Amino acid sequence: MRRRYGRIVEIALFILPFAAFWILFRLGPVLYGFFISLYRWDPLGDAKFIGARNYLNLARDPRFWNALVNTLEFAAIAIPLIVGIGLVLALFIFAGRKRRVTTWLEAGFFFPYLLTVSVVGLIWRWLLDPDFGIVLIALRDMGIDPPVFLNEPRWAIPAIALATAWWLAGYRMLLFRAALEDIPDEFYEAARIDGASGALVFFSIVLPLLRPAILFALVLTTISGFIVFGQVLIMTAGGPGRASEVLALYLYRFGFEYLEMGQAAAVGMVLFLIILGMTLVSFRWLGFESSL
Amino acid sequence: MARLRVVPVTAARLGPRLLVAVVAALALLWVAPIAWMFTTGIKPAPEIFALPPTWIPQRPTLDHVHEVLSRWPFLRWTLNSVVVAGATTVLSVLVSVPAAYAFSRLRWRGRDAIFLVFLSSMLIPLEVNVIPLYFLMNRLHLLNTYPAVFLPMIGMPIGIFLLRQFYINIPGELDDAARVDGCGNLRILWHVILPLSRPALAALVIYMFTFAWNEFFWSMIALSSPQMFTLPIGLRALQGAYDIDYGVLMAGAAMAVLPTLMLFLFLRGSIIRGITMTAHK
Repeated sequence: MRRRYGRIVEIALFILPFAAFWILFRLGPVLYGFFISLYRWDPLGDAKFIGARNYLNLARDPRFWNALVNTLEFAAIAIPLIVGIGLVLALFIFAGRKRRVTTWLEAGFFFPYLLTVSVVGLIWRWLLDPDFGIVLIALRDMGIDPPVFLNEPRWAIPAIALATAWWLAGYRMLLFRAALEDIPDEFYEAARIDGASGALVFFSIVLPLLRPAILFALVLTTISGFIVFGQVLIMTAGGPGRASEVLALYLYRFGFEYLEMGQAAAVGMVLFLIILGMTLVSFRWLGFESSL
Repeated sequence: MARLRVVPVTAARLGPRLLVAVVAALALLWVAPIAWMFTTGIKPAPEIFALPPTWIPQRPTLDHVHEVLSRWPFLRWTLNSVVVAGATTVLSVLVSVPAAYAFSRLRWRGRDAIFLVFLSSMLIPLEVNVIPLYFLMNRLHLLNTYPAVFLPMIGMPIGIFLLRQFYINIPGELDDAARVDGCGNLRILWHVILPLSRPALAALVIYMFTFAWNEFFWSMIALSSPQMFTLPIGLRALQGAYDIDYGVLMAGAAMAVLPTLMLFLFLRGSIIRGITMTAHK
């Protein structure tokens, strides 16, 4: 009996350091955030319980709905773009893997992932500058009359999504390339002997076997898609007007510019629920065996 | 050769050499923005806006670099980033190793369920928690300090996930032998498991360091005085309120990227292997 007790204590001690940080700074804040969202916070420190009023204020604020729609638009463009580009690049790298140069090409595609978001934002702001951006100059040289991406309400979000894909696709590429390497050679051999075409092999063998990796990439990318912040702040600051103001930016402005901490905390809860919901949908859609 | 067929049909028909050429062209295009950042950073102002644009600066200059260094505490930002990323990495490894051990090498009731609870907190990104973390750090009088930035990054589930995945595959006979020799769990962890799990530790170190080095949203909220900024926050400050000066911005961005780039060129293989491990069984 005593030994058993000692063993439980030992296991607890092994887990405790991690669990302490996790409870204090990860799980705890979600609960605390919900508590904060039920109050009205005076800048001087007084708090008044107002129940669901912050949430009702959100529901009544057209600016909140605008930010929600912008976030959904960003997610709808960026998530497929990031996962899709990652998958295509992985197929390319996998196909050329017998050549030495391929590891360098892979490194080139991956490198942007190591950049911080402010560098990504600054680079793309410069590339897409309405007057001197090299992307616009190149498009004009090709005889295309490009929109002034970041200054045009309709194009700001797609342009930010493109920059984000450039930044994040490389990590998904590594994930998919590793998953492709896991598929045993015999699968391809068998398919080849049966005379299956490339497309058939891809859709009937490769894609189903990649499902866990795709699910993982999708969940990961969904999170990055809905919490998008830095790129927007640096490339457009939510503009032109509020055409690219996303939820995280709305949260930041209400919390730290208008000092409406309760309402900002409510936005945090909404973001959390969206991520939770989207993840459940992905799991439902692709089955539970992710690469986790 | 058989596997070549996996690629979309069109690519497969091109033949391997052409395929590599196409992918190489794409890769060049992919890294072009980074090259463009570097060249813009060392071009004098008029040349930055020259038409047609020049890829190789005609009259390279370090003026922008000087301006960044003289007007902003850029070196201090670099130091701050090193401290924050270093502390995050060291503490993450210290707390994750024993927890991952308990979740993989020890058998106890509820083990996997509790692990799943930890793991599912992947769905709580830092960004969702910035308001409560701000309240919390304010109460602890930690705002605008290093711990305010790195403490919330330590209990990330990726740490225990990555190590556990690796520990689980180490044969159990090794601990049994050690146990027969009278080793307790701590000594087994130290003498058996840790020496065998260097690749996983390396992967965790690379992942956590990169994550902390690049963190933006929470750092921006937690840090208020320019002396305390980390590089990502400092770079944003360069953008300033007045006219946008691309020479200075690109010089600053390039200076922030340079250490990463050098490290990547030297440790390309291990970094790619490590990062792949974080996303893969």
